[in-house]
Amino acid sequence: MINFEEELKKFHPSAEVEEIQDYIYNRNATDIAGVFEKMFTKKEEETETEE
Amino acid sequence: MSMACYQCGCQLSEQDYCTACGADVSLYKKILRLSNRYYNEGLEKATVRDLTGAVDCLEQSLKLNSRNVEARNLLGLVYYEIGECTAAMSEWILSMNVEPKKNVASDYIERIQNNPSRYDNIRQTMKKFNQALEYCYQGSHDLAVIQLKKVLSISPRFVKAHLLLALLFIDNEDWEKARRELTKALNVDKGNTQALRYMQEVDRMLAPDDIEKNDRKKKRDDTIRYQSDNEVIIQPSSLAEGTRSGFSTVLNIVIGLVIGAAAMYFLVMPTAQKEAQHDAQERVDSIASQLDVKTAQIQEMESEIKSLEEAKAKLETELEEYVGNEGKLQVMDQLFAAASVYLDSKDTAQTAEMLEKISEKVKLEETSLDYQALYHSLLGIIGPELAKTYFDAGKVSFQNEDFGSAVENFQKAVYYDPGNAEALMDLGNAYRRGEDEMNARATYNKVIELFPDSEWSRKANQWLGGMDEEMTD
Repeated sequence: MINFEEELKKFHPSAEVEEIQDYIYNRNATDIAGVFEKMFTKKEEETETEE
Repeated sequence: MSMACYQCGCQLSEQDYCTACGADVSLYKKILRLSNRYYNEGLEKATVRDLTGAVDCLEQSLKLNSRNVEARNLLGLVYYEIGECTAAMSEWILSMNVEPKKNVASDYIERIQNNPSRYDNIRQTMKKFNQALEYCYQGSHDLAVIQLKKVLSISPRFVKAHLLLALLFIDNEDWEKARRELTKALNVDKGNTQALRYMQEVDRMLAPDDIEKNDRKKKRDDTIRYQSDNEVIIQPSSLAEGTRSGFSTVLNIVIGLVIGAAAMYFLVMPTAQKEAQHDAQERVDSIASQLDVKTAQIQEMESEIKSLEEAKAKLETELEEYVGNEGKLQVMDQLFAAASVYLDSKDTAQTAEMLEKISEKVKLEETSLDYQALYHSLLGIIGPELAKTYFDAGKVSFQNEDFGSAVENFQKAVYYDPGNAEALMDLGNAYRRGEDEMNARATYNKVIELFPDSEWSRKANQWLGGMDEEMTD
């Protein structure tokens, strides 16, 4: 049996067009490839410093 | 899909290292391949209109590689298809940020921006949907339904609006309408799990038995039965429709008007009534507060009136004490009259009579000092003469053995001349002879007390002794 109140909680307001800028800035844009890049770039820099 | 080295940006080959800079790209290539695989899966799902599944895959793809422009553009397209236009535009903007040139996202954005009515529709859709959701939170389901219908008239493929409308119909147990909305939602997004779940519930409620019953009823309704003499004639309703089309049009218009009036009554009137009630309540509150202030003022004034009445009564009493028949002014007038009589005629008897009347009415100790002084001065002037008069009269009465009269005269003689020991002694004798032993003893004792070393004291003692002996006998 569907519980109206519980189901209603699953609906969230849609981002309005005027708020598109905030919508983009507030997104978590972190990706695995980015993390990988940062990780390896840092490692390369450390190796160069040691040398 | 081509891959670029994360370090130098050169095109990667099949090798696990960059041929240009020599960086190890084995793991990096695996991540990009996985991202591409998710993109392909998303594309397949989008092709068969499993848009929810496509969104999941494309989001996974972008989590692995946020610079996967194809995945982002497709995700934007899927969002646009399900009516989430703001989300779609944001994906395309991000895509443009990664790949500014030769990007289809710029074409999508331009199409929207160059069509002001479409842009305004998107804006209105989002606003109205959010308003409808707010109505749902507030419990105004009727208003939410109206608002969602407006939203869907602007954006018929807005899946979220279809789902919310279906949910409202389910809550209202309007299963057929809910099914219609869910069907529309599933036509856009076949893999929408929420829609499928709602549909399952709707199907359960609309059990096959009921559907069959409805079908049978419909079939029965498709024919018109009437009796002519002894025969029952069954006529298809389609035949009668032709003759009734004019009537049914009018009937439909009337029904439409009735429904419109009912909608007005049930939707608009309650709001207007609420507003009117609210205004009336505010007016009542305002009047009530004014009434409270007035009541407080009245109570204050009433208490003031009461205190003023008390003060008035007190003043009237005081005035009565001064000007009444036995008031202070009257008593003072009587004293002045007594003084005047004495000064004019030297009539001690009349003056004494007037002073006696004054002493009966007034407690001298409660009068002013000046009043007491005048009274005593007058009494001092006429006292000795009066005392002698009453003393002589007492003697005569005593000799005539009229002891009652003798007592009265001797009392007055003592009153007007308290230093007359003989008069006091004779008063005691008058009591004794009048057989008033108690007052006789009291008077003899007073003689002994006031004149202790006098002849009268000795005589008083003798009489007291004699009385004691008589009692012993």
